[in-house]
Amino acid sequence: MTTRRAFLAAMAASALTPRLSWADAGSPAFLACAREPSGQHALFGIDFLGHDVFRVPLPGRGHAGAAHPVAPEAVGFARRPGTFALVIDCARGEVLHRLESPEGRHFMGHGTFLKGGDILATLENDYITARGKIGLWARSEGYRRVGEIETHGIGPHEALLMPDGSLAVANGGIRTDPRVDDGRGKLNLPEMKPSLAYVSPEGALLDQVFLDPELHLNSIRHLARGADGLIGFAMQWQGDAMDAPPLLGLHRRGWSAAKLAEAPLGEQLAMQGYAGSVALSGDGQYFGITSPRGGRLHVFDREARFVTSHHRPDICGLAAGPEGFLATDGLGGVWHATATEFQPFTRAERAWDNHVVTL
Amino acid sequence: MRLTAVITAFALGLAAPCQAGVKEAVEGYVLPATGAFAGAAEALAEEARGNCLPGAGMVAAYDEAFDAWLQIAHLRFGPLEVDGRVNAIAFWPDKKGFTPRMLAGLIADADPIVDQPDEFHELSVAARGFFALERLLYDPQFAGYGEADYTCRLVQAISADLARMAAEIDSDWRTEAAPLLMSAGAPGNSTYLSQGEATRVLYTALLTGLEFNADQRLGRPLGTFERPRPARAEARRSGRSLRNVEASMLGLRALARSLMAPEAMPVTEAGFADVLDHIAALQDPVLAGVEDPSGRLKVEILQQRIRAVQVDVQGEIGAHFGLTAGFNSADGD
Repeated sequence: MTTRRAFLAAMAASALTPRLSWADAGSPAFLACAREPSGQHALFGIDFLGHDVFRVPLPGRGHAGAAHPVAPEAVGFARRPGTFALVIDCARGEVLHRLESPEGRHFMGHGTFLKGGDILATLENDYITARGKIGLWARSEGYRRVGEIETHGIGPHEALLMPDGSLAVANGGIRTDPRVDDGRGKLNLPEMKPSLAYVSPEGALLDQVFLDPELHLNSIRHLARGADGLIGFAMQWQGDAMDAPPLLGLHRRGWSAAKLAEAPLGEQLAMQGYAGSVALSGDGQYFGITSPRGGRLHVFDREARFVTSHHRPDICGLAAGPEGFLATDGLGGVWHATATEFQPFTRAERAWDNHVVTL
Repeated sequence: MRLTAVITAFALGLAAPCQAGVKEAVEGYVLPATGAFAGAAEALAEEARGNCLPGAGMVAAYDEAFDAWLQIAHLRFGPLEVDGRVNAIAFWPDKKGFTPRMLAGLIADADPIVDQPDEFHELSVAARGFFALERLLYDPQFAGYGEADYTCRLVQAISADLARMAAEIDSDWRTEAAPLLMSAGAPGNSTYLSQGEATRVLYTALLTGLEFNADQRLGRPLGTFERPRPARAEARRSGRSLRNVEASMLGLRALARSLMAPEAMPVTEAGFADVLDHIAALQDPVLAGVEDPSGRLKVEILQQRIRAVQVDVQGEIGAHFGLTAGFNSADGD
């Protein structure tokens, strides 16, 4: 029989029980999606040396994830133009919530946590008006959608939290509509105007940088950031790959223009006009971009000077490692990369998907 | 670091028997072809040293070296990718007109780099290789030089640079790339983490080479129906546009056969034979016919036949090895 005293003691104990943390999920260092030989897709937690820490099956192909800063919760986003995202308890391997994008919207595959993890921000395409939106969801209210703000551009793909609490947004510039070619058709290439926008949590445009007109086909897609606010943005060229355009830009708020980074011509051509991921090295000294089409990881310094090229077929996922970078590829490899080294950590029978998220 | 990897691969490689196709492709196709290219490029350099003028001797040596290059040009991994060699050997397409501009600049300045073979590789890829040489030998803007002119020394320097790169590719293949491919999946091999990866890299080279012929070598001059672009044909100054497609297809067929050996590949064989028949019947060496409807149709048909070989290769060779396109390269975002 439960006495009143025992009941109160139990209540107090449960209130004092620490909430779950990433340690309860095995302390993974990175999150990445993969396709397994059976065709099953799954979200993996991996440690600093590339070993599996946990695996959670996914209902379909994911793109990127957002990791909660404290709780072992990850949000896996369906690939563009998916309309769902899953909040996953990585300690228990359970789906906690399924988020649906509102009518007339779809997710873009990326999102990030704001305000210490209280708010999830999701990149969205409002395809009726072709305006980029960021949906805001309150974790404490079971991920209820509590608002949305403008990205001040078309086709936003990724956003990053800045040190001052604002957001840097990669507005890819490409108009798509899920009702046309399954959302993969590009509807405005002649007029596309990608931008990097800095937006307050309330949606005010704080700063915005565009590319020179001759580079307007360079879709700004992915972002990495230094502790000091220096942004590296990776681009995907919508013109002829033989134009060998720059694929990495560096920008800091207040600069009137971005610094563009290019490898020597032969190496630049090898990237096939496509950068799939960007990351800042763990020591903060180098930006890396990957091209799965060119089988290349290009490393640049913070002054946008080319440092080196590592070769690996289908390499795409890239994240900051304790030293240098951690990279993944479609052949199941997990790699350790620095300005001078490129060595495999592990290999498994699975195809790692486009992105790796650092915890 | 590279040396360490190679030694480890040698030491441990014997433990893992490599897949039959990889060994056959390396020993039966790649190494003979890199050896032949090194020999042909050295012959070109020798010819240039003897008589740099754009006469019959240089033309024949140029053609032989270019043909030999096209047997391996699609092996875009390992030795061909070191120091940007692929582009330094064959910088095409030159969309921004870098090559003539840089050559004109070198000639105007009588840049002494032509007398510094150890530094010549520091020049931009656009001023080196077969397409720089083609400008000097065939383009009226450059080709009127005499033996005493700077351009003669430039022809010699570019030829010597080509011969050096060809020799390095052959040597790198024999000492590094071949052992790495044949020890794929062995402990310590940090280039090919499984045997399947060795097969895959050769298979990808095959498919990418076919795609390059269809999309670039034929696709660039085809342009659009409203706007054909005959001036964009590869190596049209040397009259080699169609010959390049043929030489490349022969090299790709050799790669495909060796990769499948000892199995036959009847569907792919038929596809290659069909393409070579169409090339023989085309009689349009620089693809100038893309400008008139009937000539254009013939080039388009050839392009379709090459694309059909891509499908044949996927269905026959890809299926045999259980290979599909790269997960990320085929479908990114």
